Amino acid sequence: MRFILGLLASLVAAPALAQYYAGKTVTIIVGYKTGGGYDATARVLARHLPKHIPGKPTVIVQNMPGANSIIAANHVYSVAKPDGLTIATFNRNLPIAQLTRVDGVKFDMTKFAWIGSAASECTILAIRTDLPYKTFEDLRKSKQQIVIGATGPGANTYDFPLLLKEFLGVNIKIVSGYQSSADIMLAVERKEVDGRAGSFTSIRPFIDRNLVRPLLRARATEPGVENLPIDEDLAPNARARSIMALRSAPEIVGRPYVMHPNTSAEHLKTMRDAFAAAIKDPELVAESKKARMDLEFVDGDFAVKVMREVLSQPKDVVDEFSKYVKFGE
Amino acid sequence: MIEALFEGLFLVLQWKPLAFMALGIVLGFWVGLLPGLGGATTLALMLPFVYAMQPVEAFAFLLGMHSVAATTGDITSVLFGVPGEAASAATILDGHAMAKKGEAGRALGAALTSSLVGAIVGAFALAIAIPMVRPLVLTFGSPELFMLAIVGIAFIASLSAPGPRGMLRGFLAGGLGLLCATVGQDPQAGIARYTFDILYLWQGLDLVAVLVGIFAIPEIIDLAIRRTSIAGALPAGRISKGAWEGVKDTFRHFWLTIRCSLIGTFIGIMPGMGGAVAQWMAYGHATQSARTAEERKGFGAGDVRGVLGPGAANNSKEGGSLIPTIAFGVPGSTAMAILLGGFFLLGLVPGPDMLTKHLPVTFSMVWTIVIANIVTVLACFLLLDHLAKLTTVRGTVLIPAILVLVFIGSFTSNHHYGDILVTLVFGGIGYLMVIGGWPRAPFVLGLVLGKIAENYLYISVARYEAAWLTRPVVLILFAIAVAVILYPLLQRRKPAHA
Amino acid sequence: MHSKASLALALGIMGVSGYAVIAAWAWPWKASLFPLVIGIPVFVLSTADALWVLLGRGAQATERGEIKDFQIAQDVPERVALGRTANATGWIAGFFAAIVLLGFPIAVPLFVFLYLKLEGREGWIFSAVFTAVVWVFFYGLFDRLLHLPFPQGWVASWLGF
Repeated sequence: MRFILGLLASLVAAPALAQYYAGKTVTIIVGYKTGGGYDATARVLARHLPKHIPGKPTVIVQNMPGANSIIAANHVYSVAKPDGLTIATFNRNLPIAQLTRVDGVKFDMTKFAWIGSAASECTILAIRTDLPYKTFEDLRKSKQQIVIGATGPGANTYDFPLLLKEFLGVNIKIVSGYQSSADIMLAVERKEVDGRAGSFTSIRPFIDRNLVRPLLRARATEPGVENLPIDEDLAPNARARSIMALRSAPEIVGRPYVMHPNTSAEHLKTMRDAFAAAIKDPELVAESKKARMDLEFVDGDFAVKVMREVLSQPKDVVDEFSKYVKFGE
Repeated sequence: MIEALFEGLFLVLQWKPLAFMALGIVLGFWVGLLPGLGGATTLALMLPFVYAMQPVEAFAFLLGMHSVAATTGDITSVLFGVPGEAASAATILDGHAMAKKGEAGRALGAALTSSLVGAIVGAFALAIAIPMVRPLVLTFGSPELFMLAIVGIAFIASLSAPGPRGMLRGFLAGGLGLLCATVGQDPQAGIARYTFDILYLWQGLDLVAVLVGIFAIPEIIDLAIRRTSIAGALPAGRISKGAWEGVKDTFRHFWLTIRCSLIGTFIGIMPGMGGAVAQWMAYGHATQSARTAEERKGFGAGDVRGVLGPGAANNSKEGGSLIPTIAFGVPGSTAMAILLGGFFLLGLVPGPDMLTKHLPVTFSMVWTIVIANIVTVLACFLLLDHLAKLTTVRGTVLIPAILVLVFIGSFTSNHHYGDILVTLVFGGIGYLMVIGGWPRAPFVLGLVLGKIAENYLYISVARYEAAWLTRPVVLILFAIAVAVILYPLLQRRKPAHA
Repeated sequence: MHSKASLALALGIMGVSGYAVIAAWAWPWKASLFPLVIGIPVFVLSTADALWVLLGRGAQATERGEIKDFQIAQDVPERVALGRTANATGWIAGFFAAIVLLGFPIAVPLFVFLYLKLEGREGWIFSAVFTAVVWVFFYGLFDRLLHLPFPQGWVASWLGF
């Protein structure tokens, strides 16, 4: 009976929704400037979403950079209208910002209306192929110092190796301050640094070129590196493991997409379905392959679960975590 | 390699790439002209349409658009004193001063011709440097880049007023610029510096907002005070005739133009220096070409060499900055980052392949820059008359139009009202500097180079401890920096010895 | 005028660098090194410059260390110039307030029209046409073509739109 009522309801709702969205503009607010990964993902989605939303509205992208996307998150949390027409995508590390009580955070990650995530971020550590270490164990045992380049605290280029150094006893010197991860790769070529950590997607061209070799990864994985050892598994104790897990938890929700907390359930469902369908759309898949993006839909309910897990850590874990990991990029 | 050169040319000279290039040029013309549109924003917006194109067509479009913006940015700088592009700000100093003396045509002619020369030199350098480029870029590590930033900062000495007092003020302006560059989250300890708990300041001060404020606002106030047109009370007829004079100027000072083009290309090649630096170093170098102290004082009041230098440099850097993007996949600016995105979309991988397997495509990019610039400059010369006549329009009509452009321009970079406030605050500071006779160029240099200098210093020390101080290129650059600082001091001594 | 502005700048830079040094003291050395290395000399030298201005007397332009960056209109008497500067500042500030309160789409035509009528004393038709052209250009380009919508003003939000 409930099934039939549900079916009837959706049959009635569909044309109503189509009427709602027809002729309107859906805005995706990106918390970064044009040209970055979040922006590129949003633009690819913006091109293919209209087909999958009843009423085929226009979907545009608006950049609202600032404070590593805290500004964009604050905006969609309270300033934007809860009319189902405004979506935000921002820094996946924002739950960490909320957890470590960064000044200026005016949102609660668990209260957003979560559409889901468009991709997960697979962080790996890669070092120059001409170094003698072929596996992570080799590196750990050697006790020789290697130099890892990073952009700054808060980015996975910095945080991932930092935890490896602190907890897994690898002899790493972190040299930070490079303008972008591409600059770090240049430093690798110059032999100024020995390697870097970062997203598998961005390092892959250099692995294919045989400049660097991946040694280790974080929990969230992608095809191609599943067989690498995971940092958490090598943790010496439970505390270390929970800190590493905390750092990598947001990576599963790698490209978060949310709407205003008071968005109606109907609109949220429409968007979830649209995103899921768009990400499977063969045209989008072809386009994103060319752009070397690996999109995969993670449902909003799962995302909320991850947020809750991150934000409900006990105080002593959070305190120790904050000693190492600051909110940044 | 020669065959690849010609192959690249033929790739471009098909009707489709040419058509897309033309479209890119038309768009780029407006993007450069209007301070509201950054080349980066529009590049990103055009990226989706690039899908349907072949690589050569796509690059013809993207590069046509981007390389033209550097030329037309100079036009707004000369005519209105408003930087159309962050890379065109240095042209304002002498270019707009010339416009106010009624020499708008000459200034435009000089800016356009030097832009063309710069673009060709830059493209040429890109072409011949290709075999040598990888070793060159690989030699310039973080210590070398730090020293290069120091050389840039040393130009503050050249850009200051004569005399000990002048140098003091130049240094203070530069110091203020360097301090302003530290606002924001630092990449060493992650501390939010000087942000006063305002989220907006985490990213630091936006360069476009500051430039637009410090240059455009005093101009507007000047117009409001004079209550005339930009060209003042001078007869309209004289203005556009000067264009040919401007072209001749470029060849009168040919070697200066070439040297500034080379400076621009070189800075463009260095990854991480950013797009706004080259023009100021070229301007500094141009001031060094003054033979006496009297001549030196003419800079800032309308010396055509002050237009030639930055005009050439901001175009030649385009060719130069393609090198780290194509050869290493390291984009030198946001615009290059977007271009890189275009690469991936089209299935090309930046790296050694682009210099070997896909060499013709690389050369087609070189040719695109050359052809696009030639076409633009010719088109601008045709329009020059009308453009120059804008300086005869009543100030009271121009002011609202310029103000609208200024406000939109500073708002659209980050979509935040804070940027407009920054523009107004620095507008006030710029106004005071102009009244008080303080030089603004050193401030801009400090602002642009501050982050670069700090980051590379830290990386150098963290990586090499003290060893980097004795690297050969570092020592050479240090000597150059010292020379750059001493040059103006020796220059001013000359009349006494002459 | 010159020396007053110079003094204001020197004092301003003193204040800024002084604050910069004090604030930087509390940070870890990695973050504070650069601001201190720049800030301390700047503070000392700006103090020196401020004293120079206060104690110096009507020196030549070169001795005052001035640069001909550009000259703001020399041929208008100082009082008139100041008056017009204040006027222009008022318009600029007013435009900004209008943008924040009413939003770009309303503030732009409003400002252009008012400025043309009141300051420029242009005729009604010219003002109206020019305003229309500016508005169409701005709206057409930014909103329609580039999809860069501008936020509505605070007043509109207060009124619940």
